[in-house]
Amino acid sequence: MGLDIFNRHLRTLYLAIQLLKKMFHQLSRGPHRKLEFFNQMEIIGVGSLPIISIATGFTGLVMTSEIAWHMDFALSNVSMIPGFTGQFVVRELGIAVPALLMVSKVGASLTAELASMRITEQLDAFKLLKIDVVSYHIFPRWAACTISTVCLTLISIAITIIIAMITAVTKYHFNSQEYFNTLAQFINSMDLLCAVTKSAIFGMVIPPIACAYALKCEGGAQGVGQATTDAVVTCTLAVITLDFILTAIFSALL
Amino acid sequence: MSIESRVTDAMEGTTHTLQSVISKSVSVVVHTLEELGSGWIFFLRVMRTYRKTSGYKDAIIEQIAEVSTRTISTVIFAGLFVGAILVLQFDVMLKRFDAETLLGGLNTSATIREIGPMIISFLLAGKIGAYTTAELANMRVTEQIDAVESLGVSPIQYLIIPRFIAIVLSSVVLLAIGLSVSVLGSIFVAQYFCGMNMYQYIASIPRFAGAWTIFEGLVRSIIFSTIVANVSTHKGYSATGGARGVGRAVTQSAIYINVYIVVANFISSSLLEWIHDLFFWAKNIVERLIF
Repeated sequence: MGLDIFNRHLRTLYLAIQLLKKMFHQLSRGPHRKLEFFNQMEIIGVGSLPIISIATGFTGLVMTSEIAWHMDFALSNVSMIPGFTGQFVVRELGIAVPALLMVSKVGASLTAELASMRITEQLDAFKLLKIDVVSYHIFPRWAACTISTVCLTLISIAITIIIAMITAVTKYHFNSQEYFNTLAQFINSMDLLCAVTKSAIFGMVIPPIACAYALKCEGGAQGVGQATTDAVVTCTLAVITLDFILTAIFSALL
Repeated sequence: MSIESRVTDAMEGTTHTLQSVISKSVSVVVHTLEELGSGWIFFLRVMRTYRKTSGYKDAIIEQIAEVSTRTISTVIFAGLFVGAILVLQFDVMLKRFDAETLLGGLNTSATIREIGPMIISFLLAGKIGAYTTAELANMRVTEQIDAVESLGVSPIQYLIIPRFIAIVLSSVVLLAIGLSVSVLGSIFVAQYFCGMNMYQYIASIPRFAGAWTIFEGLVRSIIFSTIVANVSTHKGYSATGGARGVGRAVTQSAIYINVYIVVANFISSSLLEWIHDLFFWAKNIVERLIF
């Protein structure tokens, strides 16, 4: 029983890897369905913007006061706040939180959409019309999700740093000019490049896994719910695991 | 086309855009308030029914068994990696400040109080929340909940309360397990990936983490698991519109749980800081009075 479920997940992951390969193949063949791509950019990117800005804004608030508390507690000195907060945002929190929110917003809705298309036999209709679902349906979503994850990550880093700065200025009496000067000493373009690479990889990984679970879904409305649950959990685990691997690689490189 | 008509056109266009932006943002605010309000009303309804409920212990225990067996492997896996990521990041950051000796304490405290509960709750939102929502929404759209009601049984008593209580109890336990795994796992990551002595790492833990840290983690876990339970049961219970509605309910419950968790993280952090200060102030006064 347990082994059976494990096997099913492995097969779905294999399908996801194949889908990712097909995406790159499609990418090498040039632009495809441009209008759909821009529509998806609006739905995925602009649609997730409010939620991600709210969430990362609150994260910035919490994190500044947490780090200040720790520093105050251990060193009785809060002058390390700008560098520490900035580094933590650019290297980890400003990337992981948007990626996890993208999983539950975009990944879940991609799976629910494609799975309900499957159970209502719309995918069979595609097959009948000789339309390839991968290049027709999944590719625009994949491209839109990758690009908008990168953009949203950069936006969320900016929001988090600004809110952290406001918190530091109002609560711990920093000078904003001084804050940004200290910040600039600790963050370089290499950190930002790592952030962009990481978020692009997260954005690339989410849609294939979500769509693979949808393509494997069976059995009515219950199957849609099950596929969505599995997709969200697997995407979250994939993001966390990849985060660890990429962090290990980058910290070895830098 | 004369200049005047062009100006009028442009002005009309601007007014139109402005109107649509305003109406959109107003509708977003109204929608958010509606969402928050209906969630609260559902929570109060569940609590009120819970006071009058007895004799559902078997159902609760059954649900606890189901939820925890389904989730425990994922939580352990996630906890391990959350601890590992944080150790690697803090190690790089502290090296730049020449403060590596603080690694153990800083990492343990941040994991238990702040980032661990948040990220593991994101995972629980996907695993437990989405599953419960899908189950209940499926019952709702196939009119099974209406059938329960027509048999004279309160669906909240029969379906919601066992799930609600089971999710709250088992999420707290699962979060505790996940956090312990991440604390233990980060010790090994610090040893083998960051080249830090294990005993040195452990020795710096008590500088930051203590009973208060564990208390804070526990309070956060209870709050987050109540959010998971409430939003997932509410979204499932109030789903409408066929198979598409089930998918929409699942997606919405995952998003709302995540956003509520982030906001609750902020609120609980401020409140706990305030309580911490109050507690130590009271302790100081008592000590001064006694000695």
